[in-house]
Amino acid sequence: MQDEYLTIALSKGNLLKPTMKLFAGIGLPVEGVSEESRSMVFSYDKENLRYLMCRPTDVPTYVEQGAADLGIVGKDVIVEQAKDVFEMADLKYSYCRFVVAGPADLKDIELKELNYKRVATKFPVVAERFFRSQGLQVEIIKLHGNIELAPLMGMADIIVDIVSTGRTLRENNLVELLTIMDSTTRLISNRVSYRTKHHRIQSLIETMQDFVRGGEVL
Amino acid sequence: MKNRQIPKGLRDLLPDDVKTKRSIENKAGKTFRSYGYEEVITPAFEFLEVIETGTGRNIREDLFLFMDREGGILSLRPEITVSIARLAATHLQDAVLPQRLFYNANVFRHVQPQIAQYREFWQMGIELLGASGVWADAEVITVAVNTLREMGLQDFKISLNQIAIFNSLLDDSGIKSEDKQRIRFLLECKDLVELSNVLDGLDIDERLKETLASLPVLHGELEVLERIPYVESDRNASLAVEELRKVYDALKICGVIDNIVIDMGVLRGMDYYTGIVFEGYSPQLGYGLLGGGRYDRLMSQFGFPCPATGFAVGMERLALVMKNREQETKRFLLGGTDFQAMVKKAEELRRQGCIVEMDLEGCSKEKLETKLKTSQNCHLIYVDNSK
Repeated sequence: MQDEYLTIALSKGNLLKPTMKLFAGIGLPVEGVSEESRSMVFSYDKENLRYLMCRPTDVPTYVEQGAADLGIVGKDVIVEQAKDVFEMADLKYSYCRFVVAGPADLKDIELKELNYKRVATKFPVVAERFFRSQGLQVEIIKLHGNIELAPLMGMADIIVDIVSTGRTLRENNLVELLTIMDSTTRLISNRVSYRTKHHRIQSLIETMQDFVRGGEVL
Repeated sequence: MKNRQIPKGLRDLLPDDVKTKRSIENKAGKTFRSYGYEEVITPAFEFLEVIETGTGRNIREDLFLFMDREGGILSLRPEITVSIARLAATHLQDAVLPQRLFYNANVFRHVQPQIAQYREFWQMGIELLGASGVWADAEVITVAVNTLREMGLQDFKISLNQIAIFNSLLDDSGIKSEDKQRIRFLLECKDLVELSNVLDGLDIDERLKETLASLPVLHGELEVLERIPYVESDRNASLAVEELRKVYDALKICGVIDNIVIDMGVLRGMDYYTGIVFEGYSPQLGYGLLGGGRYDRLMSQFGFPCPATGFAVGMERLALVMKNREQETKRFLLGGTDFQAMVKKAEELRRQGCIVEMDLEGCSKEKLETKLKTSQNCHLIYVDNSK
C-alpha cells in the first residue's frame, strides 16, 4: 500500500462508463482511462491519484489486500465473494437483480415446490444462502456463463442469475419466478486505508453521495 | 504424493524468518516485562467447552476440532485470552490482584489462507487481570503503542472506541431484537449501505437513526465525541462517552496520544468485549496489526468474576512492516590447515561475542573466498601457521 497515492480499483466492462461519468462529475481526472488501453494503471501525479483497471470479480480482492484503497464494483460481486471490505456507499447505477428463473411452465410454482430442484448458477454462494434461508434444499450446479442453456438442455430445473432488463431470459423462454435481491454499484474501501487515509476517503465518499443524491442518471 | 507437502495454510520458517520473529519477540517481551507483565504458557489445545464458554458459539467453524479417547471434544486454541481466563480461574483465585500476564503463542484458525493470514499464526499479548478503570485501559493501550514503537514503526495508529456507546444506544432504542441482530450483523460485515437502508425502515427517533448510521464512520480526535448529540439522552451511552474521554486524556499523560485516534467503527468481532476496545493499523499493511480491549464479563464465565483488559499483536503481520532489525552479530568463516590452531582462534573470537563458523573440509583460501562471495556480513579468517 502506498502512503501518498489514493488507489482506486475500477471494474472493467459495463460499470466503467457510468463510473467515468461520476468521476468527471465530481472533478476527478478521467483523461486517458480506457479499457482498450494496454496499460492497466492510470496515474495522476498532480492529484496523487491512481486507478487500476480490474476484472469486476477481482476488485474486492485488490481492495481487501490493500493493493487498492477503494474499489468500484457491483453489489452482486460483493455478496458472492464475502471479502473483508467496508461497503461505504451506494452509487445507485448499473441496477440489476438476482432472480430465480425457470421454464415458462413453472410460472406459478410455489416456493416450497422448489425443494430438491437442480439449480444452475454462476453465483453458488448467493443461491445456496437464499435457498437455505428459505428452508429449502437444492442441488447447486456451478457454471461460468450462458446459464440459460442449462434448463433448456435439461441439466438443471431452474437457474439463479442476475438480470437487468430480463431480455436474455425471455429470449430463452425462461420466466422470472422470484427476486432474491437487488444490486447496484458500490464504493468499497480497504479497512486500514479507511482509517489511515480517513479524511481524504471520507470527503470523497460524501462528494460521491451528494452527486448521486443529486439525481444525476449515470 | 503428500510426502513433500504441508497442510494448507501452514508454513515452514527458514533462518531469516526466524531471525525476524525472534527479534520481534525479544523487543515485545522486553517492553511487556518493563511494565511488570510476566510470561505464562497454556496448552496448545483446550476442551471445546472452554473455548465456547469464552467466545460464544459463532466461532466454531473456525476451529480445528478433534476428539480425545474418552470422547471429549478438543479444540486447538484459536486465541489466548480465553485460555488465560481459564488459567486465572483455576490457579489465580487467591493471587494478589491485579495480575499482569503475557504470552507468546501459536494459535490455530481454519481460515482461507492469504497474505499475512495463516491457519497457524503467532500472537503475543498481555492481559491485565483484576484492574478496572481508565488508568488500567490507558496502561494496556500505552504498552501496545510502545511495543509498536519499539519495532521501529512510526506512522501507525491505534483506533480507540468504547463499544458500550453503540451497544447502549441499540439496547435502549426499543428496536425489535431481530432488527438489532440484523444491525449488528451488518456492522460486523461492514455493509454500511445496507445498514442505512435497514435504519431508514425503522420506526425510531430520527436523531437516533442518524446517530446509529453515523457512528461507524466517526473518526478523529476528541472533538468527534461532540458530534454524537443523541447520546446525551441515553444514560449508559453518556457514561461510556465520558469514559472514552477520560481514557483519551490519560493517554495524553502517558505520552502516546500522537498514535491514537478515536474511531467509533471499531466494534471488535469476539463476543466478549464490554468496554474500551482498540485496533492498531499501519499504512503499509492492508490488515490490522493488533487488537484488544476490556472484557469484564469473561472471567465470571469461568467462576472468577474480575475486570480485565488486554491486547494481542499478530506476529506475521508485524514481521511484514517491521523496521528495526536487530544488529547482526559479527560473523566469520574460519579456515586453515592446522585444526588445533583453528579451534584456538575460533574460541578466542567466540569469547569476544563473534559468530564463528569453521570450515570443516580443509578448503584452500581461494576456495573459501569464492564461497563467501554470495554472503554478506561474513568475513574470512584463514589460519596458516606455515607463514
